[in-house]
Amino acid sequence: MKIRIAGDTNVGKVRENNEDSLIVDIERGLYVVLDGMGGANAGDIASQTARDAILQYVAHRRGQMEPKALLTAAIQSGSAAVFGAAQAVRERHGMGTTCVGMLVDGEKVTVGHVGDSRAYLLREGRLLQLTKDHTIVEELVGRGLLAPEDAERHPYKNVLSRNLGARPEARVDITEVVLEPGDRMMICSDGLYGYAQIDAIQYVLGSGDAPADVARELIELALRGGGGDNVTVIVLETPAQPVSSTVVVRTNGAIAWWQRRARFLQLCKDGGLTRNPIVSGLESSEALELIGLSVCQAIFHDLEKSTGVNVWTFAQNLAAGWFERDGNWEALRSMMDIIANAARTVVDELRVLDSQLGFLLDVAVSRALVVAELALGGLLAERLRAIEADLITLHTANVPRVDLSEPRPRLTPMPRLTPNPRSTPTAEKIAAMPPITAEPEEETRPGAEQTMVEPPMSEPSGFIDRPTIPFLRPEREVSGSHESDEVMLAVDKTITVAIARTAPKAENLRTVLSALQQLAGDVAGNFAAAVIAARDIYGIRTVDDVGIMPLFDALDHSRILVAAAVHQIQVPLPIRARALRALSRAHQRLVSAMTGLVLEACLPTAEKLREAQHVTTELRDQVAEAERRRADLERQIAIQTDQSLPWGSRGNTEW
Amino acid sequence: MSDADMYEAVSVLRDEVLDTVEHGDRDPPGAEVFDAVLRALNAGGESVPGLDLTLHDAISRRLAWGDREDVVLQDAEVVFDRLMLAVERAFRDLDDQMVVVESATLVAVTVARVVSRAAVDRASHERAARLREEMAQGKLKEVLERQKATIARLEGELRAAAYRG
Repeated sequence: MKIRIAGDTNVGKVRENNEDSLIVDIERGLYVVLDGMGGANAGDIASQTARDAILQYVAHRRGQMEPKALLTAAIQSGSAAVFGAAQAVRERHGMGTTCVGMLVDGEKVTVGHVGDSRAYLLREGRLLQLTKDHTIVEELVGRGLLAPEDAERHPYKNVLSRNLGARPEARVDITEVVLEPGDRMMICSDGLYGYAQIDAIQYVLGSGDAPADVARELIELALRGGGGDNVTVIVLETPAQPVSSTVVVRTNGAIAWWQRRARFLQLCKDGGLTRNPIVSGLESSEALELIGLSVCQAIFHDLEKSTGVNVWTFAQNLAAGWFERDGNWEALRSMMDIIANAARTVVDELRVLDSQLGFLLDVAVSRALVVAELALGGLLAERLRAIEADLITLHTANVPRVDLSEPRPRLTPMPRLTPNPRSTPTAEKIAAMPPITAEPEEETRPGAEQTMVEPPMSEPSGFIDRPTIPFLRPEREVSGSHESDEVMLAVDKTITVAIARTAPKAENLRTVLSALQQLAGDVAGNFAAAVIAARDIYGIRTVDDVGIMPLFDALDHSRILVAAAVHQIQVPLPIRARALRALSRAHQRLVSAMTGLVLEACLPTAEKLREAQHVTTELRDQVAEAERRRADLERQIAIQTDQSLPWGSRGNTEW
Repeated sequence: MSDADMYEAVSVLRDEVLDTVEHGDRDPPGAEVFDAVLRALNAGGESVPGLDLTLHDAISRRLAWGDREDVVLQDAEVVFDRLMLAVERAFRDLDDQMVVVESATLVAVTVARVVSRAAVDRASHERAARLREEMAQGKLKEVLERQKATIARLEGELRAAAYRG
């Protein structure tokens, strides 16, 4: 893990000399902050003495001791050195120093401290204090003798309970941290946290700036807070997880693009977008909004991968609308060029500000523009295909059949194309155009030499029997193509490996795999073969879950086996990829055919239900009719038998 | 390519594969299949068959709204074919291609399974409904027989009364 680290120290605004010391030893991974104390310039001597001792100790024993033991011993050696120095000179009695140090070993950081210099860890935006101040007040709080809220106001809050130099040996607290990507650690003297709010420290530490800048800003923070003490800071940073370029484009890139929409529109206007024939009749502002802003928004949607009209749709709509109005290609081309130039200029300007983002945007916007061009290409292809289809229709309708049994004339006049009633306006225009190879004036001129063309050899369909632009029409059948021997060999190997992995009783599975092997060779996707294979596998079974689902279990299991086996065969990657594609196509056809059989098997139930419902309806009608008949008969009987009823009431009795 | 990048790379093929231009802003036919492929890619390319509940739900909804099973299946086939072509064209890295192809096959099998299960369930319901119809027919026939007997009796009585009169 590549770690960046920087340290800085400042005397502050009040003190005259800097009693703090620091060690930044990148080679040994040793980083220490020391805050000396004691009168008669003894503070700086204490911190420097400890610094030298620690540095020397680590320099001699790095690699020979465990980091934890090494750091503890080094700090203790510092304490011994300071104690010795204090004892040697009377004026320096009582001098001492705090110490907080980090020993970095790969991703592991050992933190040791004595006194009130602190170590912090900023992880995922949260600031953790790794050390506990060795002050009297903290000791009292730790023992429950003082409330934490009273500690800040306690008169002894700055009185240390431990330091280097008071005794030859010092009790060192050790903490170990395993660094994670994006972590930031900081060690500092009390000159920082004593004069800067902890929230502000967290903000600066998490700013994302380089460690050197962060260290400088933290010191400035303390100085702005009064700078009553020496300030020393060391900042350590592990690199954050690299953010994928996709994410950058989706977030920062999309926003940066959208923020510059006004500039984009201005560039479009400067490029002549408002004068383009496509927007003729529109006000300049309307044209800019309709075309410029829409395409800007479409690119934004593409960058952000959000829903809405994207570049492909925009280009298709624009071009389709223009072509429907019989617009020419040049205007569309010019419009696309203006848009592309404006977009590239905007990206170039962004690149000046942020080269990395500019580069990513360049790629993403270029891709969007290529997508737009592809959409136009697709539309043009459709138009060409339509024209071609019309030509075929016209040709087929007008070329007379040639009887091969008769002697074929060497040269035949080329027939004039006449408009076909089913032809499109495009075809009509083409038909109305003068023939390219034959000139009508010369045809009718007697004695003039006629332009001759070779007649079709057999029948018109032999000339051209199908459109020749197959792309963008995947559903169009391509016939006569088969996989190469290499690919088929790879398919065979894959199926062999897959079959070898099946259980002995998995007959269904082996049948499916064999069917896949057969179907994979046919690139054309002959569905009949798939249906036959599916029928073999289907056999005879009940149309319910118990009968049908094992089929799909076998199909799914075979898919898993094939996917695993194809990676195990020893063939070049391109062949392997083609083999997998062939097998996947075969798989898809087989499952479709199988589902078709299931649907077919389910059909009779619906038919039978309809028949049963029909019978029921007829029976109900018969019952109703019989009921009416019975009621009628009963009424007749009642009228006949009940002679006591007065005249006039007969026949009106309600039943 | 990571799963997330793969997801993004296939997402951009949406318009091409689903031919969204043809179908406007509405979800075009087969969108549920394309979305399922994306989910499969996001999930690392493998899942337990039938666990894509969203795909189940989407297909069930289409069937509930009146789309026939064969139409759903046909849309899935079109999406599969178009995706195959688009991926072959758009992905340079063959390993990435293979990942997408595997996911597409997974989804194709799942769609077939869901459609088949729906058809089988429908057939079961229809069989049950037919059984109910047949039971109703039996009862109706009984009623009809009784009515016929009653009508015959009443007609006899009426004739007798007419004779007496």
